Amino acid sequence: MSDLFEPICASGLQFFGKVSASVSHELKNVLAVLNENAGLLEDLSLAAERGKPLMPEQLKRVSENFHKQIRRADDILKNMNRFAHSVDRFSAKVDLYELVSLISVLASRLAAMRNLTFVVTKPEEPVAFQSNPFLVENLVWFCLEYAMAREGGKGPVQLIPTKKSGKIALSVVGSAAFTEGYPEHFPGAAAPLAAVLGATLVAGDSADELVVYFPDRKNE
Amino acid sequence: MTEKILLIDDETDFLEIMSERMSARNMQVTTASSARDGLKIAIEGNFDAVVLDLRMPEMDGLETLRILKEKNPDLEVILLTGHATVKDSVEAIKLGALDLLEKPADLDTLTEKIKDAQTKKMVLVEKKNEQAIRDIIASKGW
Repeated sequence: MSDLFEPICASGLQFFGKVSASVSHELKNVLAVLNENAGLLEDLSLAAERGKPLMPEQLKRVSENFHKQIRRADDILKNMNRFAHSVDRFSAKVDLYELVSLISVLASRLAAMRNLTFVVTKPEEPVAFQSNPFLVENLVWFCLEYAMAREGGKGPVQLIPTKKSGKIALSVVGSAAFTEGYPEHFPGAAAPLAAVLGATLVAGDSADELVVYFPDRKNE
Repeated sequence: MTEKILLIDDETDFLEIMSERMSARNMQVTTASSARDGLKIAIEGNFDAVVLDLRMPEMDGLETLRILKEKNPDLEVILLTGHATVKDSVEAIKLGALDLLEKPADLDTLTEKIKDAQTKKMVLVEKKNEQAIRDIIASKGW
């Protein structure tokens, strides 16, 4: 574990930094729209001072725009808050669907830059296990980074939390040649993380699937 | 004189309001919500300036700027970004951008930049016209 401590800390910080930077970019976009709405109100006020009548529809539209951007910022911050609290406990019950949904939303802006979307499939029954939530998030993030690097412009990547032969698994399904770059092009920093989590990454039965198996550490 | 502007940004709400505010300042505004559409419109149109978002899906602002400058080196481009890094700023200026402004940008500042772009374009057109006249005079041996 001691040998793995440094690379895990480094990759965790990088992961946290990437998510924070992406969130701050999104919030800047929200601020830009709010700023223009405030500017529009200022323009309308100045025009009204010069005698141009204020149109209620214009004010209503500006108000709706404010509400829309506030809702958007609230969603972004709620997700960031959930993510930030994932470091609170080193061991907790992880709902894989909830976790993957959160990480895919946090990665969605970066994925959109590469013309890619993630689709998370909700399992019929909860896929939950005991583990370190932040390290699991980091490992899932590596899978998404791999997908973003390989699948840009090719269509949605499916993220399927599931139980395979009784084992907790995340199936990442891309295009036909998705696993061709695995493991040589998979982020190297994922290896120490997987080792500490006791997780294993394997190319699936078909060339479009990568599977991560997570052990349930409830007895540790 | 009315400034002819092309706004390229994937934030459609931003485009809509910015366009409305610029139009109210007597600017003639065309919008595009993707770099691909923006490139097509920019190449077909005769704009005083292109205001371009740095981070966009499919193709980012720097790549779009590079293509715009390749197709029309005289076109003035102002970049907008959420976070202006030194690296992006240097790259943007190297590629020939007029300026890089951080969002949320002040419309008065942006308007000043657009006016600068229009002035530069007018000076360039005048120079080209003068050169064309000189070339005609020289070719005639006058």
